[in-house]
Amino acid sequence: MKMIKTTNLARNVALTLALSAVLAAAPAFADETSCSPFTPLIKGQEDLVYVWTLGVKGIGDGSDKLVTVDVNPKSKTYGKVIHKLSLGGRGEVHHVGLSDDRRFLWGGALDSNKIFVFDIGTNPAKPKLTRTITDFVEKTGFVGPHSFIAMPGRMLITPLSNKKDHGGETGVVVYNNKGEYVSHEQMPKTNGGDGYGYDVGINPQKNVFLTSSFTGWNNYMMDLGKMVKDPEAMKRFGNTSVMWDMKTMKPLKVFQTPGAPLEVRWSWNKGDNWAVTTTALTSKIWVYKQDAKGEWQARDVATIGDPAKIPLPVDISITADAKGMWINTFMDGTARYWDMSDPMAPKEVFTKKIGSQVNMVSQSYDGKRVYFTSSLLGNWDKKAKDDEQYLKLYNWDGKDLKLAFEIDFYKEKLGRAHHMKFQARDLSTLQPLDVAQNLPALLARKQ
Amino acid sequence: MKQLTSALLVLCALTLPACEQAFAPAAEALLIAPPLGLPALPIPPDSPLTRARIDLGRTLFMDRRLSHNNTLSCAMCHVPEQGFTSHELGTAIGLEGQSIRRNSPTIYNVAYVEQLFHDGREFSLENQAWGPLLAGNEMANPSIGYVIEKIKVLPEYAGRFEKAFNGRGPDMQTVGQALASYQRTLVSANSRFDRWHFGKEQGALTAEEKAGFELFSGKAGCSSCHLVGDKQALFSDNRFHNSGIGYARSMGPAKKHRVQLAPGVFVDVEDKALNAFEQPLPDVGRYEVTLDPADSWAYRTPILRNVALTSPYMHDGSLATLDDVIEFYDGGGIDNPQKDPLLRPLGLTTQEKRALLAFLGSLTGDNVAQQVAEARATQPGDRPPAHDPASTFRRSY
Repeated sequence: MKMIKTTNLARNVALTLALSAVLAAAPAFADETSCSPFTPLIKGQEDLVYVWTLGVKGIGDGSDKLVTVDVNPKSKTYGKVIHKLSLGGRGEVHHVGLSDDRRFLWGGALDSNKIFVFDIGTNPAKPKLTRTITDFVEKTGFVGPHSFIAMPGRMLITPLSNKKDHGGETGVVVYNNKGEYVSHEQMPKTNGGDGYGYDVGINPQKNVFLTSSFTGWNNYMMDLGKMVKDPEAMKRFGNTSVMWDMKTMKPLKVFQTPGAPLEVRWSWNKGDNWAVTTTALTSKIWVYKQDAKGEWQARDVATIGDPAKIPLPVDISITADAKGMWINTFMDGTARYWDMSDPMAPKEVFTKKIGSQVNMVSQSYDGKRVYFTSSLLGNWDKKAKDDEQYLKLYNWDGKDLKLAFEIDFYKEKLGRAHHMKFQARDLSTLQPLDVAQNLPALLARKQ
Repeated sequence: MKQLTSALLVLCALTLPACEQAFAPAAEALLIAPPLGLPALPIPPDSPLTRARIDLGRTLFMDRRLSHNNTLSCAMCHVPEQGFTSHELGTAIGLEGQSIRRNSPTIYNVAYVEQLFHDGREFSLENQAWGPLLAGNEMANPSIGYVIEKIKVLPEYAGRFEKAFNGRGPDMQTVGQALASYQRTLVSANSRFDRWHFGKEQGALTAEEKAGFELFSGKAGCSSCHLVGDKQALFSDNRFHNSGIGYARSMGPAKKHRVQLAPGVFVDVEDKALNAFEQPLPDVGRYEVTLDPADSWAYRTPILRNVALTSPYMHDGSLATLDDVIEFYDGGGIDNPQKDPLLRPLGLTTQEKRALLAFLGSLTGDNVAQQVAEARATQPGDRPPAHDPASTFRRSY
């Protein structure tokens, strides 16, 4: 496939070489919930959950913040907010991503386009803002840094929009661990591509990464009710996903996955070679899998809820063995557990209403603890009494979710609770899933 | 910019009022020679066009940093490639995604608009420029002074105001004049219609387009409001009319919405299913300016030049295509107590509707690509001030 635009080829070559060194003996890292396979994992009890929280005018200081919650049941402050770091202003903070050594947390803001880098290694219980990257728009022309997936020495970032018209055409971006811009590429608009972007999931074993597509600033910043009533706005959603060559950063294949495919997760189960996503608007589960000839194919394998009611599937969380997957549907505030034993024929086996609205879901490595937060986007969240903002932890025994604790983010004067990442107080306990031959080198890299 | 002015601007000497001569050298003053189809460009005596002012105004227009959080420029709602409006939104959104009630109007030929905004609440481009800059749901700057101080600390503007305004720096008047100067240059005409109707170039329009014009100025009655003169045509009476669109939006019953989920995939969603979200904001149109009940739900007649480029249509962007607009007016609008009596069912045939559509497509000016290119050639910069202007301001006297 021919690229629309190639930039900084030399730097990409350097990245390729760096990746090649790692891929030579790539370990089969697991999904903790949605971590990069290059990021070491917490296989036991997580100690802390960071909640990337949107400031709300009139709530507390009204500012975006990183909230740290103690989640170790052996701790005296279990289930309590133990730290909060206000950033000043409201920039539509959205997702965070862990660095390749899990010592830094990168958090993006979809409106201000700032990227905040926190030191979570020196004192994980008290994150410290070490860098604010403000040149994202200037360097790339893109708007809305969304997903942050670590690569060796790098951070792969997928934005949502562009500075030209605030529509959905965007790209993929690489920064290094020092917070310096490296390169960017446009999302393909040929061979069926629509140029839109959203999440990214990488699979070093197959030398690929998969991107999905959502919508531009015009829509993600708009009130959800207003948008649904605006026929022009509803025409502006991504309908594609793209498989890329990870080394060359070139698109390999564009898939037609209509209705805004969102979160991307790979199965890390040994022998598997499939990824999964769900479409927000059309309420479908799509599985991407290599055929007998080795070509990637995408297949619509199931329907979530009643698409006519637009349940709005949002975040997903796949289990470490890829036998199950949580899917949240925002509009009805429901968590749905799907049996993924046969990924080509998944089945919904459990549902539970979590709140008036629910967005993010993150599960512990062993799948026994499932965390939920409420906020989707500042202007997509429900209003008035339905605007519940929370972090809730449930214990999952394979049959039922039982509430362990909940924190009311409005009562605590915090704001809207969005993306979560786990952390251990003792980073020496971090480990990969299967083999550890590359992990020491990754952990030793402090940028 | 130099290419633009070479096509549209004629350098000439102007006799300026004494007060203006103090900061606008007459030798730099420019006049725009109107393209075929448009009358002479109205230029306020106290705000003459100069090359420096136009260039400066274009930079300001394209600069996202002119919003409080550095994310929205004028051009984000008036997108050059989208007819200087936004194709992607029925009604606009502003800072932090706040809802705006109305569609972003095109600013092609805005120099000819007598009363600005859909409700006509402002009377000069110089003053109008401050409306979006300060509106809390648009660019949402906290004050006039904040905007001015911010411009002062942005290095891209160093010396440019002083050059354009004879030593005078950024202030409320010069910012307004710079933005107004650029917007006044967005004239666009010499369309195929103009070459046929005013230029007597018989082959410029097809037979269907000519038939469409006959309908436009005859059976369909469009030219009653979208005026066409003997020597030029604004395609607007610069007046305000109630078609019923605004009335229905405010007063009509709850309805189902046909919602596209993906190309070719639609569902019907009832209003009540969206009760958990923001409710539509009230909008009574021209009444909000005059407080005259007779003006309820009346909105300014838009200039139809370049209309094929400026979808979606009507003050709320509720009609996606020109076909929809023709269907709406063929039905006589939506009945309500203040509906304009000019609106009546037209009884157009399918062939006549097609001809009208073809005619409207002939109104596209010949300089659209050039206007877009010149806007995009402007690179105002993306880097916000290192320090917030309110944090660094110190009085200098």
